[in-house]
Amino acid sequence: MDLVQKEHDRLLKRLKASHGLKNVESTIDLLQSARDTIAADPNQAAVTLAKLQNPVKSSFDSINDSLKETHGGLNKYTKSLDKLFKDRPLPSTEHDALSNQEHLINRAIAMHLLREGQFSVAATFLSEIADQKSTIQQESISRPSEKPSSLLDIDEVPSTEIRKQFASMYYILHELKEKRNLLPAIEWSREHREALAARGSNLEFELCRLQYVWLYHNKSLEPTNSPGNWEAAIEYARREFSSFGPRYLAEIQKLSGAMAFIANLRGSPYAATFNNPTAWDEVSQSFTREFCSLLGLSADSPLYIAATAGVIALPTLLKLQTIMKAKRTEWTTENELPVEIPLPPSYLFHSIFVCPVSKEQATDENPPMMMPCGHVIAEESLKRLSKGGRFKCPYCPNESHFKDARKIFL
Amino acid sequence: MAAELTSIKLNPESHIILDQPLLRLPNDLARRNFKSVQRSVEREKEYVIPALKEAANASLSNTQTPDQTLAALDAMLSRMQGLKRKMQSLQEEEKRIQNQSRKRIQHLEALHKIPSLADVKYDQWSRVRLDRLLVDHMLRSGYSESAKQLAQERDIEDLVDLGVFTQCQRIVECLRQGETKEALQWCGENKAALKKSQVWKTTTLKEIGPGILIGLVQHNLEFELRLQQYIELVRSRDQTKKIEAIAHAKRYLITNQETQNKEIMRAAGMLVITPDTRAEPYKTLFSTDRWKYLSDLFIKTHHELLSLPSQPLLHIALSAGLSALKTPLCHSAYASSSSNSASTATSVCPICSTELNDLARKMPYAHHSKSYVEGDSIVLPNGRVYSKSRLLDISRQVGSVEDGKVKDPTTGEVFLESDMKKVYIL
Repeated sequence: MDLVQKEHDRLLKRLKASHGLKNVESTIDLLQSARDTIAADPNQAAVTLAKLQNPVKSSFDSINDSLKETHGGLNKYTKSLDKLFKDRPLPSTEHDALSNQEHLINRAIAMHLLREGQFSVAATFLSEIADQKSTIQQESISRPSEKPSSLLDIDEVPSTEIRKQFASMYYILHELKEKRNLLPAIEWSREHREALAARGSNLEFELCRLQYVWLYHNKSLEPTNSPGNWEAAIEYARREFSSFGPRYLAEIQKLSGAMAFIANLRGSPYAATFNNPTAWDEVSQSFTREFCSLLGLSADSPLYIAATAGVIALPTLLKLQTIMKAKRTEWTTENELPVEIPLPPSYLFHSIFVCPVSKEQATDENPPMMMPCGHVIAEESLKRLSKGGRFKCPYCPNESHFKDARKIFL
Repeated sequence: MAAELTSIKLNPESHIILDQPLLRLPNDLARRNFKSVQRSVEREKEYVIPALKEAANASLSNTQTPDQTLAALDAMLSRMQGLKRKMQSLQEEEKRIQNQSRKRIQHLEALHKIPSLADVKYDQWSRVRLDRLLVDHMLRSGYSESAKQLAQERDIEDLVDLGVFTQCQRIVECLRQGETKEALQWCGENKAALKKSQVWKTTTLKEIGPGILIGLVQHNLEFELRLQQYIELVRSRDQTKKIEAIAHAKRYLITNQETQNKEIMRAAGMLVITPDTRAEPYKTLFSTDRWKYLSDLFIKTHHELLSLPSQPLLHIALSAGLSALKTPLCHSAYASSSSNSASTATSVCPICSTELNDLARKMPYAHHSKSYVEGDSIVLPNGRVYSKSRLLDISRQVGSVEDGKVKDPTTGEVFLESDMKKVYIL
């Protein structure tokens, strides 16, 4: 990469110093002044023209010289690119498993755009998809042999409902982040109180707590000059906190206790709760997570995670491709990648169970089974070891019966 | 033996596999730009120098009136002015391209300053990359307006190739509507480069044998376009048009006799066949599907010429990524205890999320050689496995669970704390 940068800098310098155009201009000047001389005195024509030959020729030569110079620079830069990408060809494009799933990709992109709050791009994208589809459909109507049914599938694109949901999510986030206005978020969390509670989410309380802290720090919506708006905070606490009941009692007590330290909050035991610089970010993150989860979606854009994981995986997969080509071997496990791809820990979402006996990953057909001793092996291994009867656990002295093993869910 | 399960190591040099076209394309454009400067200089040089010599000789031998001399000089001047204008515009173009290259190099260089994949800067960089991949995909699929808008909103116009793809798309549109003019013009502009790739093909083909040669050089875009023009003339069944068709064939098709003999014979045969024929190969030749074939062939030739990969980069990234992330649990009939949307304790896996779930269905899942579970795993009487400390935390957070009991966050069942049983996953 350094080499590429260096060669490109050099190329730029050369281009800047190039005076091809200047030489063209000077040739024009030569011709023009000769023309002027001849026009003024036609008798000088022969001499002037004779004198013109060499300068014009040499200025063409210098144009060519500067072109040569540029050409050299371009070549060197090209070579540096060749070198950079020499061992890194793009993966072979023999089988593009995704090319016939265009509509699914487009759906994922549309969802991604909505998620990222790119509503106008998403709208343009969806309308362009619709346009293209309708022209394709028109064409196929004119040729009745083809069935247009597969081309127009309403489920392909995100429904208006999803679009509306994301629009409201962005409205709430915008209010929260830009205007420090928690009220729309609190309202949303109240509307979804039951669903949130079932998930074990503290979102509503977290939002209300932040609202209390915010009021405590004298930041009411109507600007007041009174030192400390703790009266508003107390009033807010009285009005709202009672509904949270015993579950958050300890927290509420802490929040109220801080009232006594209003003059010296920094030295109080409550400083951490009240001066948390990341509180707003944390709350907006947990809001996004809860909002998406209630829609059955992951909090971060799946498209982003998948594309990033893909680029991380590519070097390994490419290496594999080269080795397989060199050894002329085929991929034997069709359902499973043949190599392990290390990803950052945040890219692992599920627990993984690999049977310690067969070294195979558990699947629906071959689920993990726990023996009474607490050790787990895959069902197929269990069948093979026990032959349907009593057997000894391969990892401890315990003996058990095939029937005693239980299926577990990771 | 077993590779590491996780890694946050970032190797910037091997991380830019997908970014090859990012630097290659502007370089190709710059080289083409340079070639056209070179060509125009050469052309004017070949005109001006002999013309000047001639004028000098003529005026020496007095065979030319002064007015004629002036006219000759004026002609030279206007050609040089033309050259100047052309060079100016090409130089502007060159400047634009090289500025773009510089920005792209800087963008890739930024990767070298990022310490690891877990760094927040990597996240930002990778988001820019995703936007680039999206724009690339949109441009290739013909959604130019969306691509333009996204590039503008994300401020990455220098990192994507709107111009190149938009031009390509315009020509494709024309072809789909049955118009060959634009595509032929493009062929004319890129004649030298096209010829080069063609020559290369025929030389390698001759080594294989003359029989295969015919089959493969079908890719000759210009010939196919000319053939289509011919077909349209024949289709009308009008006698004067037929004569026109024959003239057209003589002018444009016969010249390719060496490589395209079979096609030319077929074209000749079409003269005596009606367009509604059911006989092959004439049925295919008369079919309107040929326009689709031509537009596909154009895209293929265009991308090959600019060394652009034939499939969207997003497809390459996604097909690798979907597999790297996928686990057997992602399409399981049972809800996964470790990642589902029913509890705050877990985050929804991107493959399980509705956006990608169907797309990943046919992909192979990632290979793992070791189990990956939390250390304090326990199993509940219903067979669900959780981290003990996390399960206790969740149960405490959910207000409705009494002391001494735990709630399964996936199924909602409530069990006694003493029902938790240690599970050993090796």
